[in-house]
Amino acid sequence: MATKSRRRLMSSIVRYMILTGWAIIAFFPIYWMVSTSFKPDIQWFAWPPVYFPDPPTLTNYMNVWLGSEQYDTTQYAISSQTPLVSLWNSTVIAFTSTFLAVSFGSVLAYGVSRYRILSEARMFQLLMLRMIPPIVIVAPLSLYYSALGLLDTRIGLIMVYFLTTLPYAVWMTKSFIDEVPREVEQAAEILGASRWRTVFEIVLPLIRSGLVATFLFILILTWSEYLLALIITKTQVSTLPIELSKYQGSTEGRVYGRQAALAVGITIPLMVIGLIIRKHLARGFSFGMVRR
Amino acid sequence: MARIELVNLNKSFGAVDAVKNLNFVIEEGEFVVFVGPSGCGKTTTLRMIAGFEDPTSGEIRIDGRVVNDLEPRDRNLGMVFQSHALFPHKNVAQNIEFGLRMKKVAAEERVRRVREVAGMVRIGHLLDKMPGQCSGGESQRVALARTLVTNPSTFLLDEPLSSLDAKLRRELRAECDRLHQVLKRTFIFVTHDQEEAMTLADRIVVMRAGEIVQVGSPMEIYSHPVNYFVADFFGSPSMNLVAGEVVRDNGIARFRSPLFDIPLPERLNSATAGKGTLGIRPEHVGINAGGKNNATLPVRLVEPLGKDTLLYFDAGTDRAFVAVSEGLRMADTKIGERLTLSLDQHRMHLFDADGRCIRAS
Amino acid sequence: MAVDAIPAGRVQLPSQARSQSRRLAVRRFKLTLLLPLIALFLFLLTPVLLLQLYFSVHQWTVYLSSWWDADFVGLDLFQEVLTDPRFGWAVVRSLAFATTSTLGCFVFGFLLAYLMYKPFRGQAVYYIIFILPMLTVPVVVAYTAEMLLYQSGPINDLISRIIGVDFKPAWLTNPHIALATVALLEIWNWTPFSFIILLAGLAAIPKEPIEAAEILGASKWRIFWEVQLPLLRPVILLALVLRFLEAMAEFPKTWALFQGGPGSATETLPVYIFMTTWQYFQISKGAAMSYIVMLMMIVIVLIAIHLLRREKRSLDQMYALRAKDAEG
Repeated sequence: MATKSRRRLMSSIVRYMILTGWAIIAFFPIYWMVSTSFKPDIQWFAWPPVYFPDPPTLTNYMNVWLGSEQYDTTQYAISSQTPLVSLWNSTVIAFTSTFLAVSFGSVLAYGVSRYRILSEARMFQLLMLRMIPPIVIVAPLSLYYSALGLLDTRIGLIMVYFLTTLPYAVWMTKSFIDEVPREVEQAAEILGASRWRTVFEIVLPLIRSGLVATFLFILILTWSEYLLALIITKTQVSTLPIELSKYQGSTEGRVYGRQAALAVGITIPLMVIGLIIRKHLARGFSFGMVRR
Repeated sequence: MARIELVNLNKSFGAVDAVKNLNFVIEEGEFVVFVGPSGCGKTTTLRMIAGFEDPTSGEIRIDGRVVNDLEPRDRNLGMVFQSHALFPHKNVAQNIEFGLRMKKVAAEERVRRVREVAGMVRIGHLLDKMPGQCSGGESQRVALARTLVTNPSTFLLDEPLSSLDAKLRRELRAECDRLHQVLKRTFIFVTHDQEEAMTLADRIVVMRAGEIVQVGSPMEIYSHPVNYFVADFFGSPSMNLVAGEVVRDNGIARFRSPLFDIPLPERLNSATAGKGTLGIRPEHVGINAGGKNNATLPVRLVEPLGKDTLLYFDAGTDRAFVAVSEGLRMADTKIGERLTLSLDQHRMHLFDADGRCIRAS
Repeated sequence: MAVDAIPAGRVQLPSQARSQSRRLAVRRFKLTLLLPLIALFLFLLTPVLLLQLYFSVHQWTVYLSSWWDADFVGLDLFQEVLTDPRFGWAVVRSLAFATTSTLGCFVFGFLLAYLMYKPFRGQAVYYIIFILPMLTVPVVVAYTAEMLLYQSGPINDLISRIIGVDFKPAWLTNPHIALATVALLEIWNWTPFSFIILLAGLAAIPKEPIEAAEILGASKWRIFWEVQLPLLRPVILLALVLRFLEAMAEFPKTWALFQGGPGSATETLPVYIFMTTWQYFQISKGAAMSYIVMLMMIVIVLIAIHLLRREKRSLDQMYALRAKDAEG
């Protein structure tokens, strides 16, 4: 065999080995979560571990999603929430706050892109604002909210999520708007369109797919948020991540199967969304550091 | 200087055959231009010579040695890309000396050769600048310098002038020509511009759909195109091509079309009757000059260019029939005016129904 | 445009007024665009920050009926926090955690990106699998990890089988390795993030300079070091900075799995602040702590912004992009 082809083959084999290795590492925990959700309770802690449920069962799912069990916890007041209600809350909160972030964010992004209403420095500051650990404001936030009566409400959580995801929304949509050629807007202007009309009738429709990608991207963030939800929600409102944390300290012992069933319900929508927008993920993370 | 042989070269990308059974030899010191429309396989062929694509089958030999398994860096070639491909983070001098550094040439020697080569392409004043600060023409000169300094046996040029405006293109074209004269190395040049091919090449290789259509000197290609495609591709303005019929009238072959009825010259007398296309270049069409092989046609458009005037006639075909007149003599011709055109019978071409050129047997 | 001859001396009032009103219209437009942002900041962010400041200089306990009854204590609380050894340890733990997990994410992310940036068979499948860990909610990661890292659990079982020796570290109960456990989880969870960014960066490097380098005699290693790496600097910086900042703020996994324990082995800054505020109910101390951490992070963030902007500028320069002229 000649040198060039042999070298290619060798490096190809090594590459596949390394990639497959990491693929296993990446996938195994997810596999475990899914398989555990189908295991009958005796197989949850079995030693040696059971890698494939035998036989697979849907009882965990029935208990968690359709049952009305309430979880006795040592740390949180007993909630009247059930996972299905939490699912509803999560959906409403996530969608609303994401919608707000993307709509206001894209309009703001238009202003930054075309009218420089925020300088580049300010844009980075906006982004970095997001990077300050939320932990530092949760205490006063909850006091502020309790004074306003926003504690334990959906609206309260929506507003915070709106604030914390707005920077991402602006950055992401801006990169899409930057790619719309200015001539298109100038053509609209000459034809008599007002500024607002240009934004809503010309520019935004042109980046429709970008808006969808941004929407889904931010949806992932709001859906999975934990800390703020933990602080702001008490008894009336609960989101799915919080629901999961109710197992912590549960007096029933480790109900792995049910935990897994809940976890699967939380995670699968995200994975589906993430896979749909996977081509756009890089754009959401690059923040101008990657040449387009 | 190297002799490059392409033997039974094939390249497929999945279901698409980019290069089909190519056989060609590039002699030492030649300036060969591969020319053809987009997708004809010329760039793929060049890249196979360079080593960036592997042939699906066939051999590439440099000086008799099969190089299919050699990496690009081991083939002693130089390449200039369409997008100049300079390293954006290094300045011009660093870009140029890159190849020398890879060969572990000492620093002083590098500086000397960089300066020498920069002088050759006249970019000595740019050595400290970054590629982002250079204009298109300057960048391409830097790319040339970067290749020159490593003294390769052969220069590969992949549409290096396509991204430049017309004036720069002519300047750099002259530069390439000059370099070839001075260095006497083998140049393999790929372009879709027939003018570049005509002016630069020692030999032209016309390609289409992965195959070689015709090989020859610019003169040969221009005056004796082997088929309709080559005839149409070369020449600006393009050759006039009139579809019609060949009929035999008392033993003499004639060409007939809605607006033409012309006897064919002796050398084409053996043409069989049937569908055919008559070809004649605009510069070989006389206007109001008397003589045989006439047709009278109305003027559709007049284009005074200064050096010449182009007259477009309505010939009953989709494309206008073009004639060239020197200077601005005919610039005031009115649209609709009927003029008598005579076709130079020594310069007429006849193409059969398949597009092939009919030659004297 | 037809040019009308204007008699000399005539003041061009109409066009002046037009450009004046145009400028006003543009300014009004810009302001309206900014309004939501300003409103959010004004009504949500600013009051919260001010409250934070108030509580960090007033000693307040839950037994006081109203906020305003709290005593002013000046900088006492800040002093208390800064001299609190537990706080110091929390800082150390956070930094250690953030540094190791960021480096881990970077190394693995880079390796994967480098292996994946050129197309090959099966690439799409690998890509999908690689981004999955990032799409799992951190809390879910925590609880799944609990199932997996149980001392007699599948991970230990698998590793034991692979290396042939009994390998049963107590991931969840050994205070010496607890923080490392969280770091490993963080790496698992967020390597895809670095991977995606670095992959985008590698793929964005134009192909032709690399081919030019190849034909000029550069080896794979040379090309990597001299051509690809310098052009990747902005992206590398971004991957490191963003990950570091987020790792400093990590809460769900640490809390859900360990609640700061065993002992105080995983008491990172977010955890310690959380505990101070909601377990010990030392609201004021928590406020002061938050402020200090916030200032600390702001300093880091400002450095990060400076570095990132510099890299963006050099990136723009290299590719000779000119800033688009803004209207108005």
